[in-house]
Amino acid sequence: MTESVRMTIDGQEHDVPAGELIIQAAQDKGTYIPRFCWHERMNPVGMCRMCLVEVESPRGPMLVTACTDTVADGMSVDTKGPTVKKAQEAILEFLLANHPLDCPVCDKGGECPLQDQAMSHGPGDSRFVEIKRNYEKPIPISDLVLLDRERCILCARCTRFSDEISGDPLIEFQERGNVTEINTFPDLPFSSYFSGNTVQICPVGALTAKPYRFRARPWDLSRVESSGMFDTSHPRISIHSSQNQILRIVGVDNDATNHGWLSDKDRFGFEYLGSEDRLTTPLVKRGGELVAVGWAEALDIVANRIDLIWEEDGGSAFGVIGGARGTNEDAYALSKFARVTLGTNNVDCRMDDALSSHFLAGSVDRALISDLDTADTILIWAADLKEEHPNLYLRARRAAQELGVKLIIVHPRATGLDDRATHKLHYRPGGGFALLDEIAEGVHPEIASALAAQKVVVIVGQTSFADDPKLAESVAALVRSKAGTVRIMPLARRANTFGALDMGLGPDLLPGRVSVGAIGCASLAESWGEFPTSPGKDTRSILEGLDDGEIRCLLLVGADPVNDLPIGAIARDALEAAEYVVSIDLFLNDSNADADVILPALGFAEKEGLVTNVEGRVQKVNAISPGPGQARADWSILADIADRVGRPLGLALAETIAKEIAEVAPAYEGVTWDLLEWDERDGVVVPIQGSQQINHIPVSLAGPRAPRAGLTLHVARTLYDDGVLMRHSPSLHRLAPGPLVHLNPEDARRLGAQGGRPMRVVTKHGEGDFAAVIDEDTPEGVVFVPFNQPGGVSLGTDPVVRVTAVSG
Amino acid sequence: MSIWSEETQVRAKEIISRYPEKRSAVMPLLYLAMAEDGYLTDEGMEEVALWVGITPAQVRSVASFYTMYKREKTGRYLVSCCTSISCMLLGGDDILHAVEDESGVPHGETDDEGLLSVEHVECIGACGGAPAVQVNYELIEGVTSEKARDLVNWLRSARPEVVNTDEMQELFGGVRSFDWAVSEVDGAIGPYPAFQPLGTVGTEVGE
Amino acid sequence: MSAALIVTRRMIDHPADSHRIDVYEDTGGYVQARRAVGMTRDELVDTVKASGLLGRGGAAFSAGLKWSFLAPARPAYLVINADESEPGTFKDRQLLERDPHQMVEGIIITAIANEVHHAFIYIRGEYPKSARRVQAAVDEAYACGYLGSGIFGSDHDLEVTIHLGGGAYICGEETALINSLEGKRGEPRLKPPYFPAAKGLYMLPTIVNNVETVSNLPHILDMGAEEYGKVAHETDTGTFLFSVSGHVNGPGNYELAHGITWRELIYEVAGGIRDDRKLKAWIPGGASAPWFVPAQHLDLEITKEATEGAGSMLGSGAVIVMDETTCTVRAAERLVRFFAHESCGQCTPCREGTTWMEMILRRIEEGQGREVDLDLLLDVSDGISIGLAWPPKMTTICPLGPSAVSPVIALRDYFRDEVMEHVRLGRCPLGTAARGASNSETDIDRPEVLAVETRRERGSGGRPPGEGSPA
Repeated sequence: MTESVRMTIDGQEHDVPAGELIIQAAQDKGTYIPRFCWHERMNPVGMCRMCLVEVESPRGPMLVTACTDTVADGMSVDTKGPTVKKAQEAILEFLLANHPLDCPVCDKGGECPLQDQAMSHGPGDSRFVEIKRNYEKPIPISDLVLLDRERCILCARCTRFSDEISGDPLIEFQERGNVTEINTFPDLPFSSYFSGNTVQICPVGALTAKPYRFRARPWDLSRVESSGMFDTSHPRISIHSSQNQILRIVGVDNDATNHGWLSDKDRFGFEYLGSEDRLTTPLVKRGGELVAVGWAEALDIVANRIDLIWEEDGGSAFGVIGGARGTNEDAYALSKFARVTLGTNNVDCRMDDALSSHFLAGSVDRALISDLDTADTILIWAADLKEEHPNLYLRARRAAQELGVKLIIVHPRATGLDDRATHKLHYRPGGGFALLDEIAEGVHPEIASALAAQKVVVIVGQTSFADDPKLAESVAALVRSKAGTVRIMPLARRANTFGALDMGLGPDLLPGRVSVGAIGCASLAESWGEFPTSPGKDTRSILEGLDDGEIRCLLLVGADPVNDLPIGAIARDALEAAEYVVSIDLFLNDSNADADVILPALGFAEKEGLVTNVEGRVQKVNAISPGPGQARADWSILADIADRVGRPLGLALAETIAKEIAEVAPAYEGVTWDLLEWDERDGVVVPIQGSQQINHIPVSLAGPRAPRAGLTLHVARTLYDDGVLMRHSPSLHRLAPGPLVHLNPEDARRLGAQGGRPMRVVTKHGEGDFAAVIDEDTPEGVVFVPFNQPGGVSLGTDPVVRVTAVSG
Repeated sequence: MSIWSEETQVRAKEIISRYPEKRSAVMPLLYLAMAEDGYLTDEGMEEVALWVGITPAQVRSVASFYTMYKREKTGRYLVSCCTSISCMLLGGDDILHAVEDESGVPHGETDDEGLLSVEHVECIGACGGAPAVQVNYELIEGVTSEKARDLVNWLRSARPEVVNTDEMQELFGGVRSFDWAVSEVDGAIGPYPAFQPLGTVGTEVGE
Repeated sequence: MSAALIVTRRMIDHPADSHRIDVYEDTGGYVQARRAVGMTRDELVDTVKASGLLGRGGAAFSAGLKWSFLAPARPAYLVINADESEPGTFKDRQLLERDPHQMVEGIIITAIANEVHHAFIYIRGEYPKSARRVQAAVDEAYACGYLGSGIFGSDHDLEVTIHLGGGAYICGEETALINSLEGKRGEPRLKPPYFPAAKGLYMLPTIVNNVETVSNLPHILDMGAEEYGKVAHETDTGTFLFSVSGHVNGPGNYELAHGITWRELIYEVAGGIRDDRKLKAWIPGGASAPWFVPAQHLDLEITKEATEGAGSMLGSGAVIVMDETTCTVRAAERLVRFFAHESCGQCTPCREGTTWMEMILRRIEEGQGREVDLDLLLDVSDGISIGLAWPPKMTTICPLGPSAVSPVIALRDYFRDEVMEHVRLGRCPLGTAARGASNSETDIDRPEVLAVETRRERGSGGRPPGEGSPA
């Protein structure tokens, strides 16, 4: 409930919300006050002075900056009078005095606030006849961002972003007065996961992105709005392309998900789409070689084989893994394909590294991202948001830093948010249940009391593979027993996991968050016809089934289990044993290279559809590129196979699939493409209450106990890794840390480890050499190895580890 | 592991303890870093960053804002000639030229030997004793061009361990802003202010 | 010794050892701090308000009022602004070096009045000697139990930290000083919302007082507010330290009550112009202040009101005197260079404008000026201080940028012909004399003592005997 005050802007009376900044109030009432340094998602600094306006005061009219002064009842503001005009023209002449005016070769030209406002509010010419400031140009301030200092107007947007928003103040003002510049410390680059945002908010061409520099003129770009698909938060983005090639991605401001910010992965991680290595035609294995064939031939081959196996062993001989990277339409088609065409519930979009499907899909008290802003306490358990969910990281950081929300972090080692934590606890991987017991028993009273708040948001993941997936549910159960209102945000890895689970890509789930075997099945059967009614196998069991021959045919959809599974060897063995493997994918990878048939799929920005994020928010993603060669959307490939098998899906258009989803999945009722394209660009949250047909039952706090002595292995994800999409995105792939082992200085001393020198790391699942990082952030007794790194080895899930120095 | 000497580390801890928030200790610690290395090195700034818990970029941002944190190799004697308004009116520019000429070191530079650095500075609060010069921030008031040349030669030949303001005023000074009244025993041992609690001093304070 | 010498009296009476605690205590020192321990906040604030004491840092705001504005949140801090850097000003240096205990006692009184338990003395980096003297005094006060926990046996704790600046004039601006003390760049904060009394050091209520301001406090308690208020010219109570420099025979600090004329200050107190040359102009209140010229201002009374009425300010009390040999373009260039050099760089008009002004002035002085340059200079100045009036209508965050405009206004108002002469001749018409070198080679006869007292009873208008002559 905001009160309003009555004020005058240029002689017009307006009612505006009390406490608002003049610049915002004026803008809402249709008066644009020029500005450079002001950015509505950051604290005002009033530095550029472009937004000076004249305000009546008892001492006569006063010049104030509209970005720092708030409105007041009876206030009278002049934004256009002679004094203001004089000030605006002076500021612009000052700003342009040393500006190089190299607009013809500047990336920003054509979309540059300095250009635009020089035209709308500037004096039209410059009287500066002296020599302009000159700097070496450009200088790389990170792997992704270049700096042309002479273009900079010193608005502090980039420095504020890095300080206030991303929390890595590696770019700062240097020197003072007329030679002030922004820069990094020598040899300490602006290596932020969020560096690209500074390019987007730079009001001039001082900061430019290496991947985009000199690639296009903004007026030549095609643009389409969509959502980022690198993690489950689905930040809103705009994709810009030229001649069917994506050239850049920028954030779109919205309250719901990302405030316009993007991680560099979301911003620059599109290179794989244009990769030379994309699959462009169906491939069939003949005589040990993959041979390109036409679609009809490939689909016939697949359909015939499915027919054959179905005839011999029925649906239980099939397994389906993947589907969490496509759209909801793709996932729905896959879910229906598995049940109706293959006749199996052996389907799972998770890669043996996830929380339970019911907990993910069915927690009734699911949190919205915006709940972080209004919480009293946020508990983050077993999630290093900066590495795993960078967009959520920014939101949680803001809540703690700017909004005063208490932040509790429980994690095996220090996380990127620890500097903002009110309380933090570190535990040994596998020791989560013991710690939970301690909290329940009052051993950590400060945490217990912070949890006994009015509104608590629990962000809970499964950072370490050693942790039992049930731990997350027990954490939720504990907080539910303490706090007033609890909102749970269970984390999952692949971007559309929540959409895929909502579409039934779990062995025990059907579309619309209905349990296999539950009452809701009956209504689905009306639409789908007959399908199995008992739960199927999850990813791990499917792979084990392949190994022992129970399952004969595996369908991989956008999945690379050899690299994605915590214990890659399980997948490798299973794939070797499998009788028949079909893969629908963008690339050849370690899992499908030996498949029998590989079908080329369309990727992100090459197809339209719906996606569902961690909140249950459904948004529309859009196409801007036709995709390479003969690649097709997953759903249409599956529909064609189903037709050939003779158990058709009845799916002819992506948009009609969305309509069918809305019919069979009650939660998705009314969620159409039209709605999301026009009325609800920020998406709609599909309700869990009322429509949900599965119930998450809180479990007890008891769970397995881990050993407390010796070294404990913590294997966890970093933002950049050796995943298949990253492998084909060179700008980001080279930023992956590589095979490293992090050791506490004390452990390092005991083990004789030296920074950068190789250490042999041995577990029961694997062993390899990793370069040592001596690291205060890793507690004594814990050994941290980033997962799936270029040149690394899979170490599995068991926390017991041996580390020795490699001689020589 | 700190790159600083035990003694400096003890002082750093003590300095930080004087402030409610440790970031406040950045400026005194920067002087400590200068005292360790003779000027403010990148390593010194990184060390300060560790002590106060901010990034090296933030430390450099602070250091580069102020004129007294010399980030380039600076002579054992930093000769600062005031050329601001009051000194200018009374010949401050001539003093600067005399120092530059006699030393062969222009403004902002250091001689090859690393003995003398010369700079012109803005007002140093000695306007009543203009024109004024500082050596390692120890003041000489009422300087003449001739005395300025003598000062340069004295620094080169006598190479005092500690530069003492009273001694230099006696030898090279003239008019003072006010009666200094009491002679000082302390002085500076390097191109940073001699103020012991912040870690930089010539001789120890005391009787 | 006359009663009107206040903050410099002890150093005149005890030239050799006025900085020592034993001398300080033998001459009535720390009696008032001890007394203040037993007084309430209201009593102390009211006394200081009643005394009419104005801040001596330059803004001349009522010290008592400043205290009363302190927000109730605690902890609160006291910061002593000893970052004396305004060109022409050297008064605080003398107070710091010659009578540091006087300031420490003032700090104690301020701390008690404002429930402060941690005070900082921010001394400019170029004053290491001052810092050493103050540190010695603070150490002595700690040793005597006047600082530390339970001062004077009370339950009031007071820690004092001396903080050395790093070389930045702008840190004399109170919010820049606070940023600097927080270990940040000395950039002024936005006012509103960052008024130190509400959101100061570490965003907590903070009082920032000048050295001279707090040095007056023991005397206010000693004399009583009423008596102190009588050492005055009407509204300007107490005495003021004037730092006189430039082309006078007797440069130095002078403790005076307001109300004499500029003629008296320059010609009597400061001994007149060197070599009996003609006075050309003077800056009445530090480098930031618009200039005065003899034809218009010599017989003006030195009061806040009269000075402001004539379009300038008394500022930090620095009087810079220029004789007829001075090239005013060169002087203006030197002043503008100062502000350009000291600009923090955060806001556009100051960062870009002052440097541009310096470039134009240098061109004119070096004979490269164009006919249009004075108007251009004025228009660039107008973009920093719209209307070129005083006090300025600033386009900047703080008054540093507009301060650079003051000498330009002087060129416009009094020395336009001299500027145009530079342009016409393509060189400085004053030749080598403009370099101002002559006097530095000769000895100047110094007045025997450094302070002169003047006293004028409230409303009496008469000049007491002996005024303007050495005390």
